Amino acid sequence: MDFTTVIFSAFALTLLGAGMGVILSRNPVHAALFLVLAFFTGAGLWMMLEAEFLAITLVLVYVGAVMVLFLFVVMMLNVDLDRLREGFWQHLPLGAGVALIMVAEMVLVVSSKQFSKLGADLQPASETVSNTRDLGMQLYTHYVYPFELASVILLVAIVAAIALTLRKRKDSKHLDPAQQVLVKASDRLRIVSMRSEGDQ
Amino acid sequence: MSMNDLYLLVPMAPLLGAVVAGFFGRTLGRRGSHVVTILGVAISFIASVVIAQDVFAGHSFNGTLYTWLSTGNVSLVVGFLIDPLTVTLMLIVTFVSLMVHIYTIGYMHEDPGYQRFFSYISLFTFSMLMLVMANNFLQLFFGWEAVGLVSYLLIGFWYTRPTAIYANLKAFLVNRVGDFGFLLGIGLVLAHFGTLDYATVFSMVPQMAKETIELIPGSPVSLLTVTCILLFIGAMGKSAQMPLHVWLPDSMEGPTPISALIHAATMVTAGIFMVSRMSPLFEYSETARSVVLVIGASTALFMAFLGIIQTDIKRVVAYSTLSQLGYMTVALGASAYPVAIFHLGTHAFFKALLFLGAGSVIHAMHHEQDMRNMGGLRKYLPITYWTAVVGSLALAGIPPFAGFFSKDAIIEAVQATHIAGAGYASFAVLAGVFITAFYSFRMLFMTFHGEPRMDHHVREHLHESPWVITVPLILLAIPSVLTGYLYIEPMVFGNYFGASITVLPENGGLHEMRQEWQGVGNFVQHGLLSLPFWLAVSGIVAAAALYLKWTHVPALIKARLMPLFTVLDNKYYFDSFNERVFAGGARLLGGGLWRIGDEKIIDGGMVNGSANAVARLSQRLRRVQTGYIYHYAFVMIFGVFALMSLWFIKA
Amino acid sequence: MTFAFPNLVPVLPEIFLLTALCAILILDLFVSEANRFLVYAFSQLTLVVTAGLLVMGATGAPISTFEGMFIDDPMARTLKIFAILAVALMLAYSRSYNSSRGLSRGEFYVLVLFALLGIMVMVSANHFLVLYLGLELLSLSLCALIALQRDAVRATEAAMKYFVLAALASGMLLYGMSMLYGATGSLQIPVVASVIQSGTADPAILVFGLVFIVAGLSFKLGVVPFHMWVPDVYEGAPTAVTLFVGSAPKIAAFAFFMRLLVGGMGSMVTDWQPMLIIVSVLSMLLGNVTAIAQTNIKRMLAYSTISHMGYLLLGILSGTDAGYSSAMFYVASYVLTTLGGFGIILLMSREGFEADRLEDLKGLNKRSPWYAFMMLVVMISMAGIPVSVGFFAKLSVLSAALDAGLTWLVVFAVLMSLIGAFYYLRVIKLMYMDEPADAAPLIADTDHRVLISVNGAAILALGILPQPLIDLCTMAITQSLRG
Repeated sequence: MDFTTVIFSAFALTLLGAGMGVILSRNPVHAALFLVLAFFTGAGLWMMLEAEFLAITLVLVYVGAVMVLFLFVVMMLNVDLDRLREGFWQHLPLGAGVALIMVAEMVLVVSSKQFSKLGADLQPASETVSNTRDLGMQLYTHYVYPFELASVILLVAIVAAIALTLRKRKDSKHLDPAQQVLVKASDRLRIVSMRSEGDQ
Repeated sequence: MSMNDLYLLVPMAPLLGAVVAGFFGRTLGRRGSHVVTILGVAISFIASVVIAQDVFAGHSFNGTLYTWLSTGNVSLVVGFLIDPLTVTLMLIVTFVSLMVHIYTIGYMHEDPGYQRFFSYISLFTFSMLMLVMANNFLQLFFGWEAVGLVSYLLIGFWYTRPTAIYANLKAFLVNRVGDFGFLLGIGLVLAHFGTLDYATVFSMVPQMAKETIELIPGSPVSLLTVTCILLFIGAMGKSAQMPLHVWLPDSMEGPTPISALIHAATMVTAGIFMVSRMSPLFEYSETARSVVLVIGASTALFMAFLGIIQTDIKRVVAYSTLSQLGYMTVALGASAYPVAIFHLGTHAFFKALLFLGAGSVIHAMHHEQDMRNMGGLRKYLPITYWTAVVGSLALAGIPPFAGFFSKDAIIEAVQATHIAGAGYASFAVLAGVFITAFYSFRMLFMTFHGEPRMDHHVREHLHESPWVITVPLILLAIPSVLTGYLYIEPMVFGNYFGASITVLPENGGLHEMRQEWQGVGNFVQHGLLSLPFWLAVSGIVAAAALYLKWTHVPALIKARLMPLFTVLDNKYYFDSFNERVFAGGARLLGGGLWRIGDEKIIDGGMVNGSANAVARLSQRLRRVQTGYIYHYAFVMIFGVFALMSLWFIKA
Repeated sequence: MTFAFPNLVPVLPEIFLLTALCAILILDLFVSEANRFLVYAFSQLTLVVTAGLLVMGATGAPISTFEGMFIDDPMARTLKIFAILAVALMLAYSRSYNSSRGLSRGEFYVLVLFALLGIMVMVSANHFLVLYLGLELLSLSLCALIALQRDAVRATEAAMKYFVLAALASGMLLYGMSMLYGATGSLQIPVVASVIQSGTADPAILVFGLVFIVAGLSFKLGVVPFHMWVPDVYEGAPTAVTLFVGSAPKIAAFAFFMRLLVGGMGSMVTDWQPMLIIVSVLSMLLGNVTAIAQTNIKRMLAYSTISHMGYLLLGILSGTDAGYSSAMFYVASYVLTTLGGFGIILLMSREGFEADRLEDLKGLNKRSPWYAFMMLVVMISMAGIPVSVGFFAKLSVLSAALDAGLTWLVVFAVLMSLIGAFYYLRVIKLMYMDEPADAAPLIADTDHRVLISVNGAAILALGILPQPLIDLCTMAITQSLRG
């Protein structure tokens, strides 16, 4: 067992443990923090594959942005995870049974010899060109179509997020100075001609 | 415009007319409706004439216009077969239909259902054209059912009259019996020939002639015989052959123009046309032809008897139609298909003439149909009278009117045939000649001669019908005189039909006749010396004696022969038999099945039982949908797990 | 590293659609509430032009571009045109419904067009990655559409369910795809197909991946046991959105099956046929039986959809060209019929009243004989009774299955459709035999009325003359699969 295998095993085991932690911890803040740990170890695994760009992006985007947002939400909403997980223990035996058999089946398949052959014909990343540049070249040339599609999906996400959350409140009583300065005398004052009392 | 478009135009023009008049009749008004439908039929007639010239110049057509569906190796198509037989029928149908359309303007002008009527008769023209132009059994069946439907609608046109509703129901039910046989016949064709296309089926007939099927296990019968008889049962329904004739007299409840168009000239001859079209099949089955011969002969004779005692002017014509259809069927049985079509053609003209003439009388008499209340109308309706004389002479078979030629040809063809039943048939057709002449002139004399018997009020208003009624009468009288003389040579003895009709050399009646043929003049001369002519003349003389000279005698004869009269008056008890046995039996059976079979077994046991079981299952399954997202997710994961495990077990 | 600029001509309709919908997004900012009709009109115009581009660019032979990721073949064009027609009809039907419920916002139209773009991408995808991205584009847009009525609790709940379950299904699908990638070493569908055919890939991994792919696909189609979202989403979503969820995406799901299973794993038909049989049998059983117990017509139609998708699978699982084209015919006729059915429900609903209970159909014949007749046509088509396109659709998938030797399955399917006929006929009974509970007259815009009539007439016309559509489907399938 060489050094990389040791490192890999450490990361992998931590990742699994963190995953379990996410679903098992009673405190939602703990769960979110376990998720952060999972992301970190995932990034570590990528680093070992020399996919530095992906590893750093994972940390920056998910840990730096998404998870922080997540934590905010969890803290603000004060979610009671325990109540949500009612029946968890009740369904556990059946769920665990199914899960175990599935894992066994997966292991049988994945341990097949085919996978060990897979890496053989792959080209290692170029020594001279940086990983990021390589990825960029691929994305903007051969994979331009999926790349554009992904951008459209992001656009949908933006449109959807705004459509679902932005609302013009009809009941808020704010004043618009721009409207105020445009007011004319006739808007405010109405001159009504009335017969004076003496005429009656 | 290519010929193909022209073929399509023939049925489509009346269809368009029918659709326009039917859906937009109210907006178009009465005038608009009759203009559009008459235009449609007129276009169709002119196109038919053009096509006829083309066909007689030697251009037949057999092709598919549109494939409706194809399943497996059977395609259901819309296609036309245009050959001499088809164009003959096309000309007859469109011409008579055109006349009837024009006539209807006068006859129905007071009726509230004016537009509806025009729409129906145009729709009928379309259906009938589809029937005759078909090149496959499916389209034939479509046309067959469509004319049946329009006939049903038109018999019940005055739907507020209970008798009309009874009559159209009867026509519908009796035709169902025939159609059932017809459909079974088509089914047999499809099952054993594997196609519905005429040309393919006909080309396969010789090698199928020896095929047998076992209707009752252990006793094989000829496939072609069974098929032909089943198809003929269809023809019996539509062409009103005994014992499926009962609907035709009652169909006179409909307005007179449709009696002329549908129940005399065209639809009822569909059966005759169909058998002629199927001549390649019928030629290979002598048994089937014997059946055709005997049934035709019986219809010809027994229905003629009934014509003698009728007092309703339209019913006399109706029974004469039945009898004449019997004549045509006899010709089919004798393998003389061209003769049958020839008689079909001449009959279409003179019978439409007689019906329209009767309609003109009825119109003048303010919808009075009883001949006992007529008499002496000759003075008031001169054109109607003279055209009726022409029609009656043609019906009676007096030379040189059309009926003489066709009827004489039938009699000769029967006498030249030697299959089973030929002797009976030749007696029946000869006796029929006398009776036909007798009742047709009885009608003429009772209506137009003698003392006027109508009441004073009606008499004051008697006058000749308007031109829209008399012009069609005159136009129909012309072919009633001429067609026989002009067409007997090409149609019966020449090669008019070409390949469209098959007559095998060994079924020789027609071939013998052709050998003896020596020209029209000779035929007439021979006819004047032979028995049928003198029988017809004596029939006329007898009618003149009884209804012009000694008018008290018929009552005496009736009193003396009361039992015979009762039998005839009850139409041989066909109706009561049907009413008691079939209708009563069906009601009894239906009642029994309903109470025991339906209510107890099916409803109680099967339907409610299984429905309750399904409903219980349904309620239970419904509860699976809990609404909890983790249940849903679990079901999905479990699904994957189950599918995966199944494959592991298999592997 | 060489890179050739891709041929953009086959992608022109998609490019136009995307550009136009961005333009509509911006247009929406500048039109006032009163001129909201403009957004609708522009959306319809966009659809017309996109369809026009598709028709004009039609070529017989398959063309691929973007290094084989995008394929343009007769099947793709035909399905895209079906989808555009469905979306156009759906927009027209839902116009007045939307404006009375505050749904007539620019986002609604934009999201619908995004979803359509997703459908078109999926239909033309020839690469696992593109297929997946198209699917996500569609799913995400649908999810937003379902939730668009923010204040309706049921709609939000339905959107939540759809989102979570769709994510799960996507996960399964990706997992399956990665297995295939592992076994074959490529994401290009034709390459995957040829590797599988050559027999060099490990069959165990292939079948393992296949299971997950079938699961992911089945979720999209909404067949048992991956159907649980269907009733809740149908019921919870605003009817206009339900109409959308129930129509055009089914076309995409069909294309998905064709591309992945038939195109990619066609030589493994003996493996996926039994899986689809299980799914199909369960769907026909559960869909038809559970529909009987429903009181909400949207829920009833949801179960009816589940069973219809079971029948659709019959065509695909027969594994022949005739079967695929019958399934394509089925999906077209199903979409046409569904549009008609929801079109009438939309027509009956008005402000503050959804008309989504079966009771609301009571005595429809007395209130409006014409719409009752149209609903009758829709119901007989769904039940597969002759003189409607549904009859020929059922007939063609059943005969395809029969030709594949699956007699017992056909017998079962026919039995199930008998059970199904019960609840369709019950709707007819309610409309014609019962007294109306509500005498309010039905008010609808002229275009809605005309389109409903055209829709019903099309169901009938194709029920009498189905051959042109059958021929179109057969042509599309044979030319696309056999070149």
